[in-house]
Amino acid sequence: MKSRFLFPYWCRYLGYALFLVHVPIVMFRTELGFDKPEGQASHGIFGTYHIFFMATTLLMALGLFLAAFSKEKIEDEQISQLRLDSLQWAIYLNYVLLIIGLVLTTDTEHILFLNLIVPLVFFIIRFRWVIFRLNRSLPKEG
Amino acid sequence: MKNNIRVERAIKNITQGDLAEQVGVSRQTINTIESNKYVPSTVLALKIARVFGKPMEEVFMLEESD
Repeated sequence: MKSRFLFPYWCRYLGYALFLVHVPIVMFRTELGFDKPEGQASHGIFGTYHIFFMATTLLMALGLFLAAFSKEKIEDEQISQLRLDSLQWAIYLNYVLLIIGLVLTTDTEHILFLNLIVPLVFFIIRFRWVIFRLNRSLPKEG
Repeated sequence: MKNNIRVERAIKNITQGDLAEQVGVSRQTINTIESNKYVPSTVLALKIARVFGKPMEEVFMLEESD
């Protein structure tokens, strides 16, 4: 079974690493001096805030992307099936949250951000969880 | 769909791991097929039958509900 459009196995760990690197950078953005500007100082596409925001968001998205779409150690048809299944769940959940968000709030900036992160995160969690369950149900040696 | 992979394996005296290696899938996949939780593709079913040297119908069979 050939799986196309997937990154090599080691990309998963690179992906997790990129994501983990992004977390402290965003958490300490005020200390690093990249918090949302109050005045007119750094606006526009080339403003520091925007560049910082773009860089961290891309770091996160790229990390999640690599973690989500890298090959398993043994790629077989059941893994493809589980991947497809998890992707469907992730899209469903994303759209449910998107619609709820659109109806109940007017905060489009955060909806966009949620939309960016939910499908990939939920996909990774669901996919890992089914594989974990599969491994746990495995007898010692059959 | 039912199958008697477990019986065939016992006859041939090979483990799930051996069978998995010979048909190029993970041991988890063989395990879920044996416990009827996963229906293999035609290609995989043919490969498994070939390992046991039997026609596919002797290893895999339809159930009432299929």
